[in-house]
Amino acid sequence: MTERPEPYEDRAPGPGPYEDEYRIALLRERLAGDGPAELGVRVERRGGVVLLTGTVPTSTRREEILDLARATLTGLTVRTDVAVAGRDAPDHGEELS
Amino acid sequence: MTLPGPEPTGREAVVRVAAVGDIHLGEDCAGLLRPAFEALPDCADLLLLAGDLTRHGSVAEAEVVAGEIAGLGVPVVAVLGNHDHHADTPDEVTRVLRDAGAHVLEGESAVLPVAGHKVGVAGAKGFCGGFLGRSAGEFGEPEMKAFVRTARRGAERLARALGELAEHGCAVRIALTHFSPVPDTLAGEPLEIYPFLGSYLLAEAIDAHGADLAVHGHAHLGTEHGMTAGGVRVRNVAQPVIDHAFALYRLPLDGHPTRPHAPTARYGTR
Repeated sequence: MTERPEPYEDRAPGPGPYEDEYRIALLRERLAGDGPAELGVRVERRGGVVLLTGTVPTSTRREEILDLARATLTGLTVRTDVAVAGRDAPDHGEELS
Repeated sequence: MTLPGPEPTGREAVVRVAAVGDIHLGEDCAGLLRPAFEALPDCADLLLLAGDLTRHGSVAEAEVVAGEIAGLGVPVVAVLGNHDHHADTPDEVTRVLRDAGAHVLEGESAVLPVAGHKVGVAGAKGFCGGFLGRSAGEFGEPEMKAFVRTARRGAERLARALGELAEHGCAVRIALTHFSPVPDTLAGEPLEIYPFLGSYLLAEAIDAHGADLAVHGHAHLGTEHGMTAGGVRVRNVAQPVIDHAFALYRLPLDGHPTRPHAPTARYGTR
C-alpha cells in the first residue's frame, strides 16, 4: 500500500499564505502612506520570498523602506533590489531636430 | 545668394533644455542636487521641474527645494506634483518656490529669451483618468464625477496656457506637466495602474495647440521616450527614469515650430 503524507502535516503554525497576501498589501499601503510617501517601490511575491524593487532618492530612504518591510513582513524572506537615483549631471544630451 | 548670418549671440541656434521631475526632496536632502545644478549655466538655457519636488508637500521641504534652485544662473520653470499637494498647502509650496526665483505654472505660461529667440513653456500639473479607450467617464456618483472633472479641468488649464504661447510667436514651445499625456512613457509600470498615471486629455490639449516637446514625470518605473498622436515628442524625466540630476534636450530655434494639424473640437475653434 502506498503511503500518502498528510497534506498539511508539515505546515508550520502561524499565518497562512492568504494572510501573507494581506500583509504584503499592508506594506504597499504603508509605503504609500503619510510617513514614507514612497509610491515608486514595487512589492512583489516571487515564490516564497517578497521582492522590493524601485528607485529612491537617498540611501537613508532605502534603509527606512527596508526596515518597514522587515517589520511588516515578519517571518517572510524579504529580498531587495532598491536603487538610489543617480544625481550626477548627464554627460550628453538628446538632439531633437 | 545670401548665406544666413550667425545668430545675434554667435551661438548655434538651439535651446538647451534641462529637465527633471520626482526629486522627492525631504527635509534631510538639502544640497543633494545642488552640485549637479551648479553646472547648469554651462550646459543648459533653462531648467524644467516636472513636479513631485517634495516628499510630503510641506513648507519645510519646499524650502529645501528652494535651496537647490535659488540663484542657479538659468531660469527655472516648475509645475507641482501630487506629492507637493499632500500637505494641502500647494499655494505655500508655490510661494516658497517663487521666492527662490522659479516660475511655478498651473494653467500659466512663461516666455523666456534664449539666443535672441523666445522659448515658451506652458505648465499644469494635470491629473489621472486614463488613456484612450481605457479611461474613466464623468458619470455616476459625485465622487466619480469630481475625479474625472479634475482631469478635464487640468487639461483645460494646460490648453489655455498653450493658447497663451501661440500669441507670443515662440520659436520653441514646451508643455510641462507632472502627470503623463501618453501611455508610451509608462512602459514598465503595471498596466493596471496606467489610469492613475496620466490622462489622454493632456495629449489632446497638446495636439490641439501644438508644441515642440512635452515633458512630464510621475511614472518612476516608466521609460523616457514617447510621442502624442499628433507627433509631439514626449519625455518622462522622473529622476528614477533618467537616473541623473537632469536630462538634457537640444531643440533648434530656427526650425519650423510644430503647428497644430487642426484644432480639435474640445480645445480650439475651427
